[in-house]
Amino acid sequence: MQVLVVPDHRAPVVTQMLWFRVGGDDDPPGLSGLAHFFEHMMFRGTKQYPNGQFALIVARNGGESNAFTTHDYTAFYEQIAKDRLPLMMKLEADRMMNLDLSDNNVRTERNVVMEERRMRVDNDPQSLMSEQLAAALYLSHPYGRPVIGWPDEIRRIGRVEARDFYLHHYAPNNATLLLVGDITPDEARPMAEDAYGKVPARELLPRAEYAQPARLGETRLNVARPDVKVPIFIRFYRVPSYADAAAGEAESLEVFAQLLGGGATSVLYRELVVKRKLAVDAGAGFDGYTRDDGSFSVYAIPRPGVPLETLEHAVDGVIASLFAHEAATADLERAKTQLIASATYRRDSQYALASAYGQALSIGLTANDVEQWPDRIHAVTADSVRKAAIKDLKKIEAVSGYLRPGK
Amino acid sequence: MSARDFLAAAVFAFAAIAPQAASAVDVKVVPAAKGEEVWFVEDHTVPIIAMSASVPAGSAYDPAGKDGMAAMAAALLDEGAGKMNSQAFHAALDDKAIQLSVSPSRDYMVIRLVTLAENAKEAFQLLGLAMAHPRFDQDAIQRIRAQMIESIKQDEQEPPTVAGKEFTKLFFAGHPYGHAVNGELNTLPAITQNDLRQFAKAHWVRGGMKISVSGDVDEAELKSLIGAAFDAIPPARPAPLPNVTHLGAPGVHVVPLPVPQPTIEFGLPGILRSDKDFIPAYVANYILGGGGFSSQLMKEVREKRGLTYGIDTDLNTYSKAGLFVGQVATKKESVKQTIDVVKQVMANFVDKGASASDLADAKTYLTGSFPLAFDSNTGIAAQLNAFQRVGLAPDYITKRNDLIDAVTLDDIKRVAKRLFNPAKMTIVVGGSFDNSKPN
Repeated sequence: MQVLVVPDHRAPVVTQMLWFRVGGDDDPPGLSGLAHFFEHMMFRGTKQYPNGQFALIVARNGGESNAFTTHDYTAFYEQIAKDRLPLMMKLEADRMMNLDLSDNNVRTERNVVMEERRMRVDNDPQSLMSEQLAAALYLSHPYGRPVIGWPDEIRRIGRVEARDFYLHHYAPNNATLLLVGDITPDEARPMAEDAYGKVPARELLPRAEYAQPARLGETRLNVARPDVKVPIFIRFYRVPSYADAAAGEAESLEVFAQLLGGGATSVLYRELVVKRKLAVDAGAGFDGYTRDDGSFSVYAIPRPGVPLETLEHAVDGVIASLFAHEAATADLERAKTQLIASATYRRDSQYALASAYGQALSIGLTANDVEQWPDRIHAVTADSVRKAAIKDLKKIEAVSGYLRPGK
Repeated sequence: MSARDFLAAAVFAFAAIAPQAASAVDVKVVPAAKGEEVWFVEDHTVPIIAMSASVPAGSAYDPAGKDGMAAMAAALLDEGAGKMNSQAFHAALDDKAIQLSVSPSRDYMVIRLVTLAENAKEAFQLLGLAMAHPRFDQDAIQRIRAQMIESIKQDEQEPPTVAGKEFTKLFFAGHPYGHAVNGELNTLPAITQNDLRQFAKAHWVRGGMKISVSGDVDEAELKSLIGAAFDAIPPARPAPLPNVTHLGAPGVHVVPLPVPQPTIEFGLPGILRSDKDFIPAYVANYILGGGGFSSQLMKEVREKRGLTYGIDTDLNTYSKAGLFVGQVATKKESVKQTIDVVKQVMANFVDKGASASDLADAKTYLTGSFPLAFDSNTGIAAQLNAFQRVGLAPDYITKRNDLIDAVTLDDIKRVAKRLFNPAKMTIVVGGSFDNSKPN
């Protein structure tokens, strides 16, 4: 188990995050949602601490706990008074090896997950749309399957599948431990050895390496639903991530997303919302912390009466102009300043700091990569931004969606 | 070690650590030049400064027929000031990565400013310009109005928002707390440039203003920053809001929506922050529904029955009213069952009160987790400002855990009987469901 300690002695509080190198990508065929479902099962109980005792014990000791799952990793965390850290480690170690997976637990938790899916996805046409766009974008790669799972597959998850998953993925040799807060490495080492040293390593199921098949053309998705009140244009591009991009390429895409669509001074907002008044909102984003390809998104919400076709055309016009000419110096510098400052702002929060390191380590980067990220953003130039954008934002690597009111 | 031994050890050991909560943060009260009291935590670990400030410019001050005026004014705060139009003002902020956000609520408009310490002067000066010399340009008004209108349309399909809005309307009927903070499709178009100017003049004022700051700055510099932000606005204090004479609309109200999972919002008259029973009520709410996985409602509705992803209750304290309110979302087939379970759990709590271990667990959570709110500059500023808004004194931070530890089982029973009457609940379902008449 890899352990990283980031001391911050402002409050007598520590955040422990345990990151497992398992996620939605590791869901077996026909069982999408298993990794996320399993994250829920980790709170159900062990022989020593049954019936949801984990969260209750953390709370009783004045702590907060929760967890999250992506395609690439699953992370569990507690934030608590410093002297309770050994207890938190003991609890995490216990559920890493002694989870109780009885039938009744599985059934109740499956219902909870179905409600979670209704809340996050089925109730929300934009979430449904994004789910379909991802499915079209990544072709056969599991990034196209929702982490929460397709409803028909969530229903098939049973005790045996959960147990297999546990035995093949949950072990100290598949985990990274992050400790951020009022603790030093010297204090952390004996504590971690005492708790996690007792957990046996397991033979891991190797992670499947999925093809990222070449896309032969742009995909378009037209969705009309009665539950849509406000139309939206969304496009996702499949682009390199921090894990698989050439040196400086992901950083250039990050800067491009910021200057293209990061807030009220971005080029898209300025052109579409402020100047031409075609949209009420417009923006862009880069999700580059993934093991395989990442995504670059653009969206725009029309002013009433503006057709989505007009809006998409205008978005394409803005992107084309940034392909044709380097970004204005003021726009580039502003984007870089904001990104570099974000690294300072996240030092204010144990959670944000632990997340940044945990995410990077979980996709194969190093702590050094995290620390040097502001310098690498600083080194981005107008030329590198333009080249990365031209290389990676190709229509054949994109899925464009229209979501509008209709029957 | 058995679970029981473990519990006893945990409770015992915690008594020793609770005082650390008090020492976790050292709050100074700094008098600024124009008389405002600034709650201040000096910490040089991270080179940033976070401020939360609240001014009496909430939606409850919206004039009749102009619902959403306070919110529109708040949304325009960073849309141009002095000689800078919207784009120039945003660029001045973004060029220095200054984060300025404004959120309107019912009593207050809350301003959050976060800046790198090296840009502190510009950050507070820009805020000062925005507060004292907002432009309210027609172009910006049209844009922000269009955004607010599309956002309301978007909300019309979201069960939590629909249920929450209808609940508030019914619960506070006849009082300015009852209308939607962000206005309505038919009220936003009525708001004019002149309205907004008058509103800012009357409400973006120093009277009744509350300010908290945490971060990499010393006291002398802090005073000059606060001066730059707020000295130029008027000292006036808006007239107090009317008293609340009636709360609640008992019964089940349905707003039909074509969604698979309706949201149920339920509530009762709560308790004012100044009430001597507030702390017992706060602990009782934790045990009933505020305590996440530790709450009785979460155990019964999620853990035992799998009816929801989450259920949560809160005690909201406005200046003129208290509100006990909860939310739960469940598939439309389970709406009736979920309402029944919620009512049963409440009735049982009123009847039996809490167990000794429930109360002990609530106390160790509420006292032990107190320092977690003080782990960052943004968290400290937000937490202190929340205490200021409800009229607490700075020494509350050192007294709070003792007040919680003093709550008895009898206290819990008394406040549960006073507050949690299931028969009087106002219940709003955002979404269509099969059995429209729960027991």
